[in-house]
Order: sequence, then C-alpha cells, then structure tokens
Amino acid sequence: MEQPFSLTSELRDNCLVITTSGYVNNVGGEAIAAEFARHFENGTKQVVINLGQSKVVNSVGMSFLIEIIERLQEVEGKLVFTDLDPAVEKMLSIMGLFQYAGKEKTVEDALASLPGGEKPGR
Amino acid sequence: MKERTVAGANPGGPGEQVEALQEAFRVLSGAGTLKEQSARFRDVVGRYFGGDELALLRRTAGDWEDITGGPEAERRSGDLPVPAAGEEGASVLESKSMRIVRKLPDGSDIGIILLRRGTGRTYTESDLNTLRLFLTVFENTYREMAARKNEKDLIFSLNHRVLQLNSLIDTGIEVSKIAGTALPHHLALERAASLTNASKGVLRVTRGGRIEEEGWFPQGGAPEGAAPRSGGISAAFDFGGETYTFQLFDKESRKGVIPFDETDQLLLEALSKQVHASLENLYLHREALEKQKIEQDIAVAASIQQRILPKSLPVIKGYDIAGINIPSKSVGGDYYDCIPLPDGRFAMVIADVAGKGVPAALLVSSFHAYLTAYLEAGLPLVDLARRLNRVISRASTEDKFITGFFAFLDPSSGGLETLSAGHNPVFVRHTDGTLQELILGGIPLGMIDMDFPYQSETLTLGKGERLLLYTDGIPEATDNRQRLYEEDFPLKEFMSGHVPPGAETFIADLIADVKKFTGPAPQNDDITALYLMKH
Repeated sequence: MEQPFSLTSELRDNCLVITTSGYVNNVGGEAIAAEFARHFENGTKQVVINLGQSKVVNSVGMSFLIEIIERLQEVEGKLVFTDLDPAVEKMLSIMGLFQYAGKEKTVEDALASLPGGEKPGR
Repeated sequence: MKERTVAGANPGGPGEQVEALQEAFRVLSGAGTLKEQSARFRDVVGRYFGGDELALLRRTAGDWEDITGGPEAERRSGDLPVPAAGEEGASVLESKSMRIVRKLPDGSDIGIILLRRGTGRTYTESDLNTLRLFLTVFENTYREMAARKNEKDLIFSLNHRVLQLNSLIDTGIEVSKIAGTALPHHLALERAASLTNASKGVLRVTRGGRIEEEGWFPQGGAPEGAAPRSGGISAAFDFGGETYTFQLFDKESRKGVIPFDETDQLLLEALSKQVHASLENLYLHREALEKQKIEQDIAVAASIQQRILPKSLPVIKGYDIAGINIPSKSVGGDYYDCIPLPDGRFAMVIADVAGKGVPAALLVSSFHAYLTAYLEAGLPLVDLARRLNRVISRASTEDKFITGFFAFLDPSSGGLETLSAGHNPVFVRHTDGTLQELILGGIPLGMIDMDFPYQSETLTLGKGERLLLYTDGIPEATDNRQRLYEEDFPLKEFMSGHVPPGAETFIADLIADVKKFTGPAPQNDDITALYLMKH
C-alpha cells in the first residue's frame, strides 16, 4: 500500500531533480510545486521528476504537474518524468502531459536527454 | 454599458490613446492569471497616465480585494462609486482622481481608482473616457482569459473522465488477474482513492461485526484513536461470510476539501463490484483446481482398483465361472476374484467397501494385499476372516468397513465352505429351481477391532447347481424415479428362472436386465457379480 508523501531534491548541472515517494495528491502536488518554485525563481529551467516511488497520482496532484509544465514553457524550459510505474505513465499520458513534458526510464537518461545535460557514465 | 459620471479633468492626443489601447490589448492578452493580468494593467495604465497611482479592486462575494496586491482594499473600496439601480457601472471624475466600478461577465465587480499625486494637470472627461476604454480592454482580455481557462478546465475534466473509465477497465482486468498472495481489494482501494481524488481511504473486512482486516490508503492514513471514522462515501459487498466495506474520505480540490459527487459514488461501487467478482472468480478457480486434483486422484485410484481386479478368471475343470465389475463414475470399493489355493482349492471372494472415492479404493487395495498374503499362507477360512477383520480395523477409519463373502471350492468334490462377513445373502440355485441363501459368517470386516468368532458353513455343489455372489450395486440399482431394481425384479426370481448354458451368458443377461430397468439413470454404485456353475 502507498506510503504518505515525501520528496527529496538536488541540483545537478542547473537541473532540478525531484524524487518523490508516496501518493501525489494535493499535499504531494503542492510540495512538488513549492520545491519547483523555489528553484524556478532562481533561474532553474530544467526539471526532472522521479516518480519511481509514487505509484498513485490523483488529478489534483496532476494539476500541479501541469502548472509546472506551463511555467517552464513560458521560459522555454523542460520537464522530464522518470522511473514511471506503468499505471502512472498511462495516467499522465491520458491527461496529455507528455505532449509538453518528456519521459525517460531513469534520471540519468533524463539528464542526458536535456540540452547540455549530463551524459550517462559521467 | 450605462455608467453614472460624477465630475471632470484632461489626457494625450487620439493617436497616442489608440496606440496605448492596442498595446494594452496585446500585453493583457498574454497574461495567464487574473493577478498577472492586473499587474500588467496597472503598468500599462499607470504609464499612460504619467505614473499615476492605480489600484484595481475586485469583489466576488461581498468583500473587496486589491488584485494588484495593494493594502487596505476594503477601506479604499469606500471611495468607489455605487451603480444606481439597474445600471452595471458607475464612475467618478475629480481633479485628482478617477474612480470606476463595472460588473464583469463572471458576475464579479471590478473597481479602478486612479490618483494623481503632486501638482500636475487635473483629470478631464477625456481622461475618464480613456480609462473606461482601458477597462473595456481589461474586460475583453479577462473574458478571453476566462474562456481559455474554461476550455483548459474542460479538456482537463474530459481527460480525467477518460482516465477514470480507462482505469476502471484496467483495474477490472488487473484485479481479475490477481491470485495467491496479492489480494485485489488493496489495488481497488488505491485506484478508487486516486480516481475520486480522495485524500485517504480504508477497506475493512468484517465478520459478524468484528474487524478481521483493515487497510488504509495511504499507509498511516488511519485517524488517531480507535473509533472508526464516519462520513465520506462507501460501498460494500458480502462474500464468504465476510463483509467488505470500502470508505473514502476528504475529496481534494485545489480550493480545499469538497463533497464527493455521484460519479465518485458510482466509481467506488463499480470498483467494489469488480473486487467482488474477482474474489468469486478466484474462489471458483481454486475450487475448480481442487476438483481437478480430486478427479486426478480418483482416476489414479480407479486405475489402481482396476489393476487389482482380475483380468481373467482361472479355468476350473468341471465348472464354468464368470465375473464382472462395472465401476460407477466415482471410484467405488467393490472387489472380486477367484484365487487358486496351494492345496488345489479355489477361493472365490467378493467384497464391498462402505463408501466411495479414494479412501475406499485404498482400503480395497489393503484388503487385496492382506487377502492374497493370507491365502498363500493357507489360513483356514474362519481364521482368514478373523485376521482380515483385525487388520482392516486398524487400517481404516471408524466409518470404513468391508462386507465380503468368501467361498472355498474343492473342485474335485464340489465341496464348498462359505463365510459371509456382513455381506448380502449369496444364493445357491439347486437344479429344481429352489434357492438356498448362504448367510452364516459374522460382522463386516473392520467394523469392530476385536477377535470376532466368525463361523463358516459347508455344502456340496451338485451337477447343474449354480452359485451367485454379488454386491448391492445390483439389487439397489435405481431408475430415474429412484425405484430399486430389487423392488420390481427380485434377484432371487431372476436367478431361479434364468438358467443359460454358460456363466458368461448369465452374467451378461443379468447386467442387461439391470440396465433395462435403470434406463438412462446414472449408475450410482459399483456393480459386481461372480457366477459359478457346475457342469
């Protein structure tokens, strides 16, 4: 059964990597959005969100993710999701998030996919 | 739109005004939120009026709010004019201030206060008209932004509906695949919570009001204290004497907790029904596997039993002997044989284990093993019965025993020693058509674990005399109306009146007679018979 929400984050070559755990709902979405906003205000335009430990996402949580995508679009930034559970990947796909955000298997793959990003093995 | 003008003051030229309005439209159209649009409006209008101080207020439900972020919105709103009855706006023009109120398409009121600080020129009627035009631009771009937002919300809502339906289908498939350790109700609870935007949910399995299992989503979602929480929405079903209840709490929205709607209830009920169906399917699947396993065991047992039964009977000079065993669908416990003894005699045996199935077949197998061993040892008939009674008692459960009939035939003299261990009467047909019942013996084998004193009886078979051993599958064969063969066609009459030239023929005719009586009714017991006639 899904755990309560928590997240960690780190900056890797100006890219914000957020790793979540637990239910991405209103609380989880707000926490992700707040973490994003803190770095966005400082000029971070590339974001990777690792949802590997989040097997359940609701539409309120998704609305926060969509907002992040929209704010990044305004500054020509990019969001990439990684480590997606098949059910979560399907949800994000149906909600149309992958029209504007990327998805990769791992954080390393995501970083490598971003312009000027880290290459695997670096 | 009608407005009420209070007083008057002055602006720039018409060209400058048009350019400023065009610029305002362009800048305001790019805003994504009301707050952003208001900030841009303040910049554009403030710039046009030479840096004058502008406040933009909005009233949605009674209270005014400064959407440009300024303080004391409520106090400043007191300076705004009040539209007259039936009018949708009002304006005030003073030398150092212009104030306009107007109703927006969404029903809210917007108010502008423009203040000129310092000693510059005073506002004119033309300035007020320009400000009205700016407000119209604001109104139009706000309308456009609201339409865009509505469209976005609609798309989001439609996508969410598609997601709900898709997830409902997927969950149905997933829960139907789950077997063994993973249980479908936990997955369903997760899906129900996420699809309805519930912040938490619980599944309780209760039996007779006592909680057997309780799982919260997310983990740790249980409220402090032991009292079960009420409220939210719920769905329940009964299965296997237990009640499964799903409950969801606190529907989330960006504006806080909101009530669950009918769709949420329908979704929860649909998922609950899927779990119910899945549990039933799982139960039926396990039952089918168990049945399959039992059928396999029965097939093995039947195979063992068929191997124990004789493929052919020995040829006894001066006699004709034939036997038959027709097992019913389930494995039965009938046995027969004719075994040559070391002293030249023959042991004719027929037996019937109480009960059916694998336990009965196993007991027959034990009986066969002990019987052949004791016969090889040359035990007298009563000792054989006594020994068999003891070993079968120890090898079987309390409700299992064997009825049997034993006949030791000395073919040279026609001497016959018989013993019935609780078996149904065996008949000897004399040449005059009369029947003699052989019943002496004792209790069924294995019924009581004691040294029971069995008794045997002797007779001599004369030329043309016949002996029939059989199990109760013949007299108790039933037709579709559950009538017994014995009731309409007593076996004694058949034996007395039917004297074909060969033993095989007698057996075939007897079976044909039984089958003619039972018709298409299923055979519910083994049919076994052994027939001996002396030439």
